[in-house]
Amino acid sequence: MAENKFSGDKATQELRQVAEDLNIQTIWDREVLQTPHCGFGLLGICCKNCNLGPCRVDPFNPDGPKLGVCGADADVIAARNLLRHITAGSACHNDHGREITKAFYMTAKGEAQGYKINDEQKLKVVAQEYGVTIEGKSSPEIAQELAKKIFSEYGQQEGELALIQRAPKKQKELWRKHGMMPRGMDREVVESMARTNMGVDNDYRSLMRQGMKVALSDGWGGSMIATDLSDILFRSPRPLSGKSNLGVFKEDEVNIAVHGHVPVLSDMIAQAATDPEILKYAKEKGANGILVAGICCTALESLMRRGMPVAGNFLQQELAIITGALEMLIVDLQCVMPSLPEIAKRFHTKVISTNPRAHFPGTEYIEFNEAKGFELAKQIIRKAIDNFPNRKKESVNIPKVSADLVPGFTTEYVFDMLGGKTRFTYRPLNDGIIMGRLRGVAAVVGCDNPKMQSGDTHARLVKELLKNDVLVVQTGCAATACAKDDLLTPEAAFKHAGKGIQEICEAVGCPPVLHLGPCVDNSRILTACCEMVKEGGIGNGLDELPIAGAAPEWVSEKAVAIGWYFVASGALVVFGMPYPLYGAKNLTNFVTKEVEEWTGGRWAFEPDPMKMARIMIDHIDAKRKALNLRPMMYQ
Amino acid sequence: MKKLYYDPKKCTACKTCEIVCAIGHSPSKDLYTAIVEDNVSLPSVRVYVGQEGNFPLACRHCKDHPCVNACIASALSYDTEKGLLFNKEKCVGCWMCVMACPYGAVRTDKRDNKSVRCDLCADINDPRCAKNCPTKAIVYVEEKK
Amino acid sequence: MKHLLIIGNSAAGISCAENIRKKDKEIKITILSKEDYTAYNRCLISYYLSGDVKEDKLIYRAKDFYKDNAIELLLNKKAIRIDAKKNQVVLEDKTRLDYDVLLVANGASPKFPEIKGIRKKGVLGFRTIADTKEMLDMSLVSPVACILGGGLIGLKAAYGLKKRNLDVKVIVKSPQVLSQILDKESSEMFQRRLIEHGIEILTGSDVQEVIGNGDCKAIKLDSGKVIATSLVVVGKGVTPNTDLIEESGISFDEGIKVDEYMKTNIPTIYAAGDIAQAYDAILEKASVNALWPNAVEQGMIAARNIMGENKKYAGSTGMNSVEFFGLPVISFGMTRPPHPGEDGYEEIVTRDKRNTIYKKIILKNNVIKGAIFVNKIENIGILLKLAKLKVDVSTIKDTLLRSDFNFSVTKDLHYEKEEFYL
Repeated sequence: MAENKFSGDKATQELRQVAEDLNIQTIWDREVLQTPHCGFGLLGICCKNCNLGPCRVDPFNPDGPKLGVCGADADVIAARNLLRHITAGSACHNDHGREITKAFYMTAKGEAQGYKINDEQKLKVVAQEYGVTIEGKSSPEIAQELAKKIFSEYGQQEGELALIQRAPKKQKELWRKHGMMPRGMDREVVESMARTNMGVDNDYRSLMRQGMKVALSDGWGGSMIATDLSDILFRSPRPLSGKSNLGVFKEDEVNIAVHGHVPVLSDMIAQAATDPEILKYAKEKGANGILVAGICCTALESLMRRGMPVAGNFLQQELAIITGALEMLIVDLQCVMPSLPEIAKRFHTKVISTNPRAHFPGTEYIEFNEAKGFELAKQIIRKAIDNFPNRKKESVNIPKVSADLVPGFTTEYVFDMLGGKTRFTYRPLNDGIIMGRLRGVAAVVGCDNPKMQSGDTHARLVKELLKNDVLVVQTGCAATACAKDDLLTPEAAFKHAGKGIQEICEAVGCPPVLHLGPCVDNSRILTACCEMVKEGGIGNGLDELPIAGAAPEWVSEKAVAIGWYFVASGALVVFGMPYPLYGAKNLTNFVTKEVEEWTGGRWAFEPDPMKMARIMIDHIDAKRKALNLRPMMYQ
Repeated sequence: MKKLYYDPKKCTACKTCEIVCAIGHSPSKDLYTAIVEDNVSLPSVRVYVGQEGNFPLACRHCKDHPCVNACIASALSYDTEKGLLFNKEKCVGCWMCVMACPYGAVRTDKRDNKSVRCDLCADINDPRCAKNCPTKAIVYVEEKK
Repeated sequence: MKHLLIIGNSAAGISCAENIRKKDKEIKITILSKEDYTAYNRCLISYYLSGDVKEDKLIYRAKDFYKDNAIELLLNKKAIRIDAKKNQVVLEDKTRLDYDVLLVANGASPKFPEIKGIRKKGVLGFRTIADTKEMLDMSLVSPVACILGGGLIGLKAAYGLKKRNLDVKVIVKSPQVLSQILDKESSEMFQRRLIEHGIEILTGSDVQEVIGNGDCKAIKLDSGKVIATSLVVVGKGVTPNTDLIEESGISFDEGIKVDEYMKTNIPTIYAAGDIAQAYDAILEKASVNALWPNAVEQGMIAARNIMGENKKYAGSTGMNSVEFFGLPVISFGMTRPPHPGEDGYEEIVTRDKRNTIYKKIILKNNVIKGAIFVNKIENIGILLKLAKLKVDVSTIKDTLLRSDFNFSVTKDLHYEKEEFYL
């Protein structure tokens, strides 16, 4: 087995061994083969933006090149690269938002088969924020008008985004002052790409200003739209009990995994799998039922809303096939490994790709279309059922490992719960912080990465934060990793948390780690923070709150974009591995120090989870001190 | 003894060898730390553009080692098993070895006025340039007769 | 052979003893030294003078070395005569030492010009630790130091004493410093650098007299100018210590004449190092190249031939590497060709616009005869090797001075090199 950082998770260990026995290369093996990763790349000082290059700045030889052929220094090169990464990440979320808006619009017009408006109350709230008058209009009418407004916001050239108005006045003023207020989602993406062309923007500070602008158009734009419209369309999540890890697959049922990000597909598959006609068909083929589980973020969308089990996070996608028990893997886009079709060839698993943006040679492509959503979903599931008899018993290795968790917390719900289940208020949370029962709130989010001891980094960080009475919120693959460690259950409070958190969790009955959903739902953290400011007593801006964020095992450009919209919104964000910029000393100084003067937020990079926790706690303590809050109740 | 051999046809000039060399000979041995160390170590291997492709070159640890003969500070010696041994402490930066090396494989570090040369990564007994070369353009094998 | 006697305890002598011991543990080896120290890094005395290295760094071979290699070291023993007929060496104290084979490696001494008062106290050569220590003592009492001669030794003394904050004046007969090892342009670069750092250089002048009553008090130049100083360093080159052999029957010219096996005209007597006049591989004639690397190589060649290996010496070369105030230069071979542009001589030169880098190569019929690299010195060793082996470089001539010149360029040239292509 590859000698790299070994995931501590038993299910993962078991299936990696199976992969090794079958001589199947997985992400861990590929990571070892890619080691060492190119030092120029790690330091962010290579540029291939134009044909003067590719260029590299030599970090070690004093007489080596210090400028690219065009004259760009390390700071400009790394900043251009960084801006491109932020932009790609934001583009992903913004396009995801567009995809949801499209499904939402078709639903409103009655053109989408099987979808409906599920949360009318939220629809009205969001519509009003977009300036849609709701009096005397039906929900579909409101929804249509709202969808059009959102579509035009994508192409908006001037002015400000609608949902960014949710931010505290202080943040909005800072963004306007520093020229970081985004105008329209598409416009910022296009402008960012234009700026990184050779010889356009040659000032790393200016490039980073645009980076924050495009990131804000994601967090307070595309991502927030995706979250809110998904709630309206697929219902707003409520806490429920769920299961996760590869042990969720069933020996005697048709196992289907949905993988990717956009719930338009996964929700419909989950819905269609309960269709009696389909269930009957499965019985005919000798299966006792149909199990639809999710992988990556789309899993979390359906987990939150339907209690659909989570088979695994990013790193486990290949292992889902290697269980030998998977009839079908249905993918849409983002974080879907190109290696899947090759691995599937070794088993009976069919891989179905569905999104016109994301093609995978070696898969069957069935373009998903909301107009025939339900029918298409059933058609796809039937293929999976047809594949059930092809499963080879001797190839089945479902690990007997799964964990319980309680997901489904939202901005509206989470602290509702703290308020005593009767009223929507953040008072108890703010009071908890003011009194020193809670130190603050930390977000532990992001991907899982084979470079790190997967899962372990997250769990150690979360436990250390809990011990210090820091309430933890999670999204994405980081949440799935912590679920494996039973951290997302109410009992975790008594095992790991400090006395202050224990008291709160005991009173409310919630877990000490709150699962807010997939990575696109990091926008919920922004809105929850706005509610904290609004509730009062802990500062007038997001940057004054005793909060911090971390993405210990970040992988994707989307993580970079998310990190930046938090930094731009005034938060400290810690990445486990440094962003590729250490070769650019001024830029490093900017992102880790100078940017704080602009936004109140900044970056830190620290791979050790204990030290990472220390950085976050110190930051939270500094904010508490600045707010003159009481000393911690239980030190 | 084992020696480093190069295949210019396979070398893509990615300079991984230079980077791992510099990091491996830095106090921290960590990329992100080495980059901010005061005196970032110089790589003792360098990639040149050669006639038949790119061309990595470090000390050959050659048997007749004229640099050892030329060293006026007794900083250099030769061991039939370990190759050329360099006592950096003794080096005074007279550059006699630069003058003597028929391969141009000795570098000068102006910052501490000492020469820089390949030690075959004696600390791990496995040259990092060969170990980490992504295309195996550098290999460390028993001496060719 | 039972007993090898070596006169001289420096580079050549040690190299010879060491190379014998690598293969033979039986031969008795005795080394004779007129100095009081185990072998030291003679070339480091200038670094010791400037304070760049401490005395402990001067050790070349410590006492353990002699013990471990079973070498008998006789210190403070000056050989004054060789009785070749009896295979004996006569010491100053009249004792006689027998030998079966003798290596004469007793080096050279500073040349003192015939000037009135030159032997006064305070007038020093710059060759030994003793010289250096005396110089350091004098530097405490004499605020001014005068250096006679603008060659390498003189300038090294000037540099060291300047670093000790003395007022240093260099008196040079020729119009430039370092004229033996550099050409006009490069020597001017150094002259400028030295002057910038406060060393006074009086070119075209010579010393007429050292004034003083036993102790040096001043010097008088040929211009009539008198400079008050108690410290004068003579840097007028070195002369092989041939007094010892004058009546021995060993034939000598400038130094002891040796063949390509480092053997003298007497079969049991070899010579190596600064005293030996060996074949110069570049100039293609016998000459004394009194340099540390040559001495080490010659000692090694002598050792192998004493053991009967018939190892030929490829020849010595004039070559120097030196750095003053951050400006390094390496040069070798001919730096001022006798007939530039004629007899097949050719010079190729490159320099940068700011006059900080200067490179020159001298060729004769497409064979490298010499080179000077100022401030960018890496890779010059490749040229030295090509020069020594007289390789025809016509196919790569245009690349030799390019900044991307490197060893791989020489791949197709025919000469023996270590295999390192796959």
